[in-house]
Amino acid sequence: MGNRESRLPILDEPIKEPLKVRNYIGGEWVESKGEIVDIVNPATCKVMGKVPISTKEEIEAAVKAAQEAFPDWRRTPPLARARCMFRLKELMEEQFEELSRIQTMEHGKTIDESRGETRRGIENVEVAAGVPSLMMGYNLEDIASGIDEYLIRQPLGVFGIIGPFNFPFMVPLWFIPYALATGNCIIVKPSSEDPISQVKIAEMAEEAGIPAGVYNLVNGGRTVVTGMLENREIKGICFVGSTPVGHGVIYKKCGETGKRVIAQCGAKNFLLVMPDADLPATIATCMTSFYGNAGQRCLAGANLLVVGEGLSQSEHNAFYKKVVDAFVDTASKIRVGYGLDESVQMGPLRDKSKKDTVTKFIEKGAEEGAKLRLDGRKVKLVGDWPHACFLNPTVFEDATPDMTIGKEEIFGPVAAIMRAKNFDEAIEIIHANPFGNAASIFTQNGKLAREFQYRVECGNIGINVGIVAPMAFFPFSGMKDSFFGILHGQGQEAIRFFTESKVVIQRWF
Amino acid sequence: MSEPVPTTSAIINFSERLEDDSSKFYEKLTQKFAQNKELFAGFAQEGKKNKTLIVRTYQETITDALEACFAFKGFKLDDYAPQTTISESISYLDALKMAVQLEEKACKFYLDAAECGKSLLATIPRAFQKVADTRNKRKLKLKSLLDSAK
Repeated sequence: MGNRESRLPILDEPIKEPLKVRNYIGGEWVESKGEIVDIVNPATCKVMGKVPISTKEEIEAAVKAAQEAFPDWRRTPPLARARCMFRLKELMEEQFEELSRIQTMEHGKTIDESRGETRRGIENVEVAAGVPSLMMGYNLEDIASGIDEYLIRQPLGVFGIIGPFNFPFMVPLWFIPYALATGNCIIVKPSSEDPISQVKIAEMAEEAGIPAGVYNLVNGGRTVVTGMLENREIKGICFVGSTPVGHGVIYKKCGETGKRVIAQCGAKNFLLVMPDADLPATIATCMTSFYGNAGQRCLAGANLLVVGEGLSQSEHNAFYKKVVDAFVDTASKIRVGYGLDESVQMGPLRDKSKKDTVTKFIEKGAEEGAKLRLDGRKVKLVGDWPHACFLNPTVFEDATPDMTIGKEEIFGPVAAIMRAKNFDEAIEIIHANPFGNAASIFTQNGKLAREFQYRVECGNIGINVGIVAPMAFFPFSGMKDSFFGILHGQGQEAIRFFTESKVVIQRWF
Repeated sequence: MSEPVPTTSAIINFSERLEDDSSKFYEKLTQKFAQNKELFAGFAQEGKKNKTLIVRTYQETITDALEACFAFKGFKLDDYAPQTTISESISYLDALKMAVQLEEKACKFYLDAAECGKSLLATIPRAFQKVADTRNKRKLKLKSLLDSAK
């Protein structure tokens, strides 16, 4: 403690007493027989709830409940299912502030970030409410004389949705509303670190009139995931998390059991600063990109490439210095603390083990020869909070793509600044990295920006945008080791993921 | 210790309080003075609309992807805190003077917030500007009332 800055009053916490989280199976809130673990507010270190690590029997019960609910739900007209989405949206709007504050409490992000997350989640419900149009098939008369052909989209059955800790409210909503609106039944397994947001969504789903068994919530860990993967009644899995789990476990097992899969995984995102970039705007955008959500996002900036396109060596050096100095100066002023303090710009890491992991990366970066310009291990907080999960922004300069901090996903508030001689070298550096989630370019040169968009092998491309977060009506893309599957979450692709295309050819004698 | 720098949330929170306090102030004037009762009642009602506009715009625009870590640098909320408590014995003339000061401060707050928040998504500074315009119109109206009451 100590070494702190003055602050604004803390917003009222919506959870006053530790909350006992239960499972929601077949329309009933049920106790789990599994082990119970604490849900800890990472800023205050106070226990805010208890969550069960559910058993194999409990996930099987949820699958059974979902299977039983499916026949009726798929026969519910899309318009009626859409109305459930409208009601769910209304409930989310009514509880907008409470939902946002809960995210800050259970995850640690700032209140502005939480409200942004709530909004992004609601937008997916809004898009899915358009299911009567989105789910339409197509047809063609006279494919041969007197014969017509048409395509219809049908739901498949039961899906499993496995959420990550970093966006406890929004990420499951990349899938939930689309799965439900298209007539499927679901089992949601939130992160056991911050499951309360999903409990709130399940409560609202119940209130919105989604029938028993259509929406199930099973808390837990590996047992629940394995139970989902091994159960052949589950037709598909949506997963957002790390690449080792996403590829090595989820994708592999879904292949073995014939399931559809969306596995959105890790990232190492490069941001290019070209000599003609609007520097003040670029640096401000970089702060959001590298330090928003305390760097715990798969779209976060990780490596800043200062590109010397068209510059002499000495000009490149001067440009590099200017970028680094501005970056360090701005990052050093970011106010870190409890996200319910409205003067705080960055919250803690989700838990101490994550802080320890990031700390090891910082140590490794220094060992491997990168220059530590801003050391986030020297914690300076707004307010008197335990330091357990906090780090301040960290900046390395003279990093290289082959260093550990230059190639591996850190998932924390650490920026590695490096040089690229020119645009082509920058693209080569990006392509040498196994991930392909996002990349951005900061420039005023349209031709170069187009070339960047054209050539870079990443699913989400930013042009003067640091966090390339696709809106709900676009797919959340990803390539290479950042994504495993074919169709992505959100929008029209999610509708296709959750439906089977059936073709009918008809002739009347 | 450095000064707390307000985030977007703090600015929105302040504007909510500003509109609430302003509405209460004009409601009191409505009860206290027979002159321009309808005008004051209209101002009180307008405060509720302003608040809805600001909060709705913020909640429907804010995105963590573009605005995380954003702060209104150099913005001191205390500088904009208006005086809205009126004494029982206040005269009509003094109440009008207070109202003019209230509108001046509110207008400045919204204009400064719009300027400082330029790099937020445009709908937010635009909403601040819109409310600044309505508060400025009130100020002009109140000033003319004050001039004619003197």
